[in-house]
Amino acid sequence: MSLKGGYFKKGLWVDLTRGAIETRGLADAFLERYIGGRGFGAKLVWDNLREHDFKIDPLGAENLLVVAPGPLSGVYLPSSGKNSFVAISPATGLYGDSSMGGGFGVELRQTGIDLLSVAGRAAELSVLFIDGDGAKVIPMPELKGKSCLQAEGLIKERLGSHIVHMATIGVAGENMVGFACISADWGRNAGRTGLGTVMGSKNLKAIALQGNKDLPVYDMSGLVAEADKAYGYMKEHPFFKMWQRQGLMNVIDYANETGILPAYNFKDSVFARYQQINGTTMLNHYKIGDSACFACPMCCGNICLVKSGKYVGTVVEGPEYETCAMLGPNLGIDDFAAVLSAARLCDELGLDTISTGSIVAAVIEGYEKGILSLADLDGREITWGDDDAILELIRKIAHREGVGDILAGGSRRIIETWPEMDKVILQVKGLEQSAYDSRASISMALAYATSDIGAHHTRAWTIAKEMEEGSNWSDDERVGIVIYHQKLRPLFDMFGVCRLPWIELGLNELHYERFYNCVTGGSLSLDELLELSNDVYDLTRLANVRLGMSRRDDSLPYKVRTNPPLTGPNAGKVINQEDFQRLLTLYYQKRGWDENGVPPASLAEKFNDRV
Amino acid sequence: MPLKLTVIPEQCCGCRICELVCAIEHFGVNNPKKSAVRVLNIYPHPVIRMPVVCSQCRVPLCAQVCPTDALRWVEGVVQLEPSECIACYKCAESCPFGAIYVHEDCELPIKCDMCGGDPQCVKKCPTGALRLLPEAALGESKRLDNILSYTAMKEIELYEEGEKKVIRYAEVGKEEL
Repeated sequence: MSLKGGYFKKGLWVDLTRGAIETRGLADAFLERYIGGRGFGAKLVWDNLREHDFKIDPLGAENLLVVAPGPLSGVYLPSSGKNSFVAISPATGLYGDSSMGGGFGVELRQTGIDLLSVAGRAAELSVLFIDGDGAKVIPMPELKGKSCLQAEGLIKERLGSHIVHMATIGVAGENMVGFACISADWGRNAGRTGLGTVMGSKNLKAIALQGNKDLPVYDMSGLVAEADKAYGYMKEHPFFKMWQRQGLMNVIDYANETGILPAYNFKDSVFARYQQINGTTMLNHYKIGDSACFACPMCCGNICLVKSGKYVGTVVEGPEYETCAMLGPNLGIDDFAAVLSAARLCDELGLDTISTGSIVAAVIEGYEKGILSLADLDGREITWGDDDAILELIRKIAHREGVGDILAGGSRRIIETWPEMDKVILQVKGLEQSAYDSRASISMALAYATSDIGAHHTRAWTIAKEMEEGSNWSDDERVGIVIYHQKLRPLFDMFGVCRLPWIELGLNELHYERFYNCVTGGSLSLDELLELSNDVYDLTRLANVRLGMSRRDDSLPYKVRTNPPLTGPNAGKVINQEDFQRLLTLYYQKRGWDENGVPPASLAEKFNDRV
Repeated sequence: MPLKLTVIPEQCCGCRICELVCAIEHFGVNNPKKSAVRVLNIYPHPVIRMPVVCSQCRVPLCAQVCPTDALRWVEGVVQLEPSECIACYKCAESCPFGAIYVHEDCELPIKCDMCGGDPQCVKKCPTGALRLLPEAALGESKRLDNILSYTAMKEIELYEEGEKKVIRYAEVGKEEL
């Protein structure tokens, strides 16, 4: 079968060291098999690993940064504005990816390519500019030290166009902080696994795009009919309006009520003053506008302004749940204006808010417990809710000043320096855990432990379902739902669309089978698509195993095993290590991996075809 | 009564569904850059997401500068006669709102034709930022706001389930002291 739509069948390869730019054709077999987004990224990263005998320094010129939207990115269907970034992660040393919404991926596709691969290192700080006519690397050393937002403005001025879309890094990325993010559209971020750091290591300040090409759609009328059905379904959903008004901020109330909200570095899982930082407070006092990714009717993004007090004038795109939880309750902050200010600071510096919140919280607890001395903290005390000290510490991390230099190395560096910190940092494989407390749900703990990028909820988010209906689930059911999520959720990233219409508004996954087939002219069933997604999961596992990962890395953070939340509905709960290990063994069995989590050797050959 | 396509920028979330449906309706292609409506994002201070769309002016500057009279105001819509257009794009340059667009694939300028009276962008806008209103209703909200500033009406703000509400009232029956 040849693909009749969905792709330009072209990719752009850039080598910053040599200044070489090359457009290459992409074979149908590659496009069909890896679909897009993280699928493309995983395959290219795998090939690059093989070329380098599986020895890649995440900050070395040899690390490949793959930027890939998917065949559905930018297409008329709900929430099609997603784009993936893929590389070997500086946070984990393993496979890493992160996606962002907004309009960046759409613009990339409109330049007429399906993927961008960036290798090498530029001699000086540069911007990669791509339009329909080709690409060029423009040195702009004057951008050094500029924030993500400033840089975006300056580059637009320099290029003389206000309609270019771009992804930038901030000071954190330039300074190669282990958890720097990539930022686009004034505040959309590909936050996790330190991919901004990879850009920084390549001396690449920004990727700027301007495209105007038609996106290839095989069956337009079929697509419009399907998309209108899906849009109609979403608008009828009882929570639709609430999503438009609050976006992910509505999760604060839910998380507090169900006892999964991180408070005081996960010492607790409820926050007494949650109403001061929840969605209603945001709506009543801070929200000044809505913000949507491309083609998304839910517009879950918020734009907030602080109208009075010491943070007056702070404008920020956001926050959403993770940012608010990690920079609010998790740090003991109950002032929403301070949360906004911290979020804005992270956006400017180009720091992932989840990792930043997690590490700052661990520092506060480490100091409280005496693991860190006042001298370790350069003489500046830091306690729960002390917003001035917290903002100062965030700044020091991005600029690598004093203790910030160690913290900037991420969890692994912190634990190397102060081994006792392992007891207070919640991380798996070196990636700090997201803002859903897995002590309430063993399937969620398994999801974090087995996620290919570390403790992030993007691959599987089973916590809500387990809490609602999973109290009597068998081991089989618990493992089954994690594996199902790990097949389905990455498929959204491969398509280049957002998963929220599915997970939050109940849009049936079969819609996506039809979207895919209308756009590409293919005839794959959802099950076949899920198998392709599962293959990519096998592939990232293989890559991780070859990079030295094994069963002991599919682990639980110390706190999740040992320290129960103090109060709330889940007070006293921890994840029993024996139960967890039993589930993990079953998980490996069901995936067809051996008991050390290693996929069969024969599997590797499956992925050695040429792009 | 002629209907007018109007924009309420405060309600626009910047999703650009309007751009997509316009291009699909008129060109049959999935390309937001071939749309007669564009959402401009300007950030920061103040945050603006502004759909820019033709106002179908009664005294259309685009038609005045058109050297071949290819643009004419007919029944509430400034219509482009393709056979007379020489693709000089003077119209695009002269429009005070910048609401006429040019794309390298298209010879003719891209200009809103109101979809024959049933604009797709209005139909598909998820937030109600694009609306079709009778001409007589234009300015209604401004009139209301303005009146409040010079009448004795008082105003209180309150929140109900997170939604901001305003109650306006006149203080009556109060004795002058």
